[in-house]
Amino acid sequence: MKPVIKMILIMFLLGISSTLAQSSEVKVRVDGLSCPFCAYGLEKKLNDLDGVDSIFIDFEEGLVLMQVTDLENISEEEIRTKIEEAGFTPREIVFPRKNEMPDKDD
Amino acid sequence: MKFLSFGILIYLLFVQSLSAQGPPIFTDSPLLLGLEGGGIRTFGKYISTESGQTYIQPLVVPYNVTTDFQIGGIQPYVFLSPNNGESQSGFGNFTLFGKYSIIQIDGRAKTFRALLKYTQTFSTGASNVSVNANASQFSIVTGYITINYGIYGTVGYTIVSNDLPDNLIYNFAFGYPLLPQKYPPFQLNIFLELNGTHTLDVNKHLLFVSPGLQLMTSSTFLIETGVQIPVVDDRNTTKFAFTLGIRFLFI
Repeated sequence: MKPVIKMILIMFLLGISSTLAQSSEVKVRVDGLSCPFCAYGLEKKLNDLDGVDSIFIDFEEGLVLMQVTDLENISEEEIRTKIEEAGFTPREIVFPRKNEMPDKDD
Repeated sequence: MKFLSFGILIYLLFVQSLSAQGPPIFTDSPLLLGLEGGGIRTFGKYISTESGQTYIQPLVVPYNVTTDFQIGGIQPYVFLSPNNGESQSGFGNFTLFGKYSIIQIDGRAKTFRALLKYTQTFSTGASNVSVNANASQFSIVTGYITINYGIYGTVGYTIVSNDLPDNLIYNFAFGYPLLPQKYPPFQLNIFLELNGTHTLDVNKHLLFVSPGLQLMTSSTFLIETGVQIPVVDDRNTTKFAFTLGIRFLFI
């Protein structure tokens, strides 16, 4: 393999692992999540928050799992406000514990 | 007179179900979220009666002012084909509506909601396809929706101008998802609805049983179809009505 291609491949893989390592999961219990077709607004509102990478919605459990890349820029209050603006009722919000959070130098 | 009663019948079908912003197909929903209440909607409705055939194509555009308050407009285009007369077409009466959410009780994977709805129809339509009357409708829209099923109900009263009789409307719908609920959605929902109108003064009743099917291919698009079969028709004029339509979200 040519050295240039090798270098690009290594940088690409490092980039992916770095991104994965910095992503943390915030669990939000949301009441009123009864139909997938009314959840679009919720996804949009939560995606507006800084640092939100992706969102997964579990309807059975009434759970929203947010992959967040920058936890410092996101507060519980902001998440609650966005959920209410989307027309749902926010319940418990669980941030990752300190030892579960990715090291900034990773 | 024949055209007038034909027109009134079409009008009754309009006030009864065309303004519904469900996911039930002919019944309103108390949810103002996403495609359930917030989507732009258009459909073709073919109505077969003893007096002739009708095709109505409305465009329904809602706008959420806040989470609890929605306004919108409905502009139909109407094709009339009476048995004893020439076919005619033109824009039907324009309708404005407002919905205000009054109850929201949320639980895990379920919700109960209710809203007040006001609908004002103006006699702006072409005279050959529209009834020359304004109508004001007040209704209460409720629904209990879980991830396993949805039950919807509407009761309303319509005041009609120009000495035409007022009417009472009631709609009930039961919806059942045939596929597991997930997000982003790919859903197939089946509905069974009852859509009734009682015309006061003349004391005439019209009640449809309305089965329907709804396919949602993404968070922002769905296609739906339904048939309305009269089980009570004091005027003895309606054969059936068939609906095929779509809803989509721009935002």
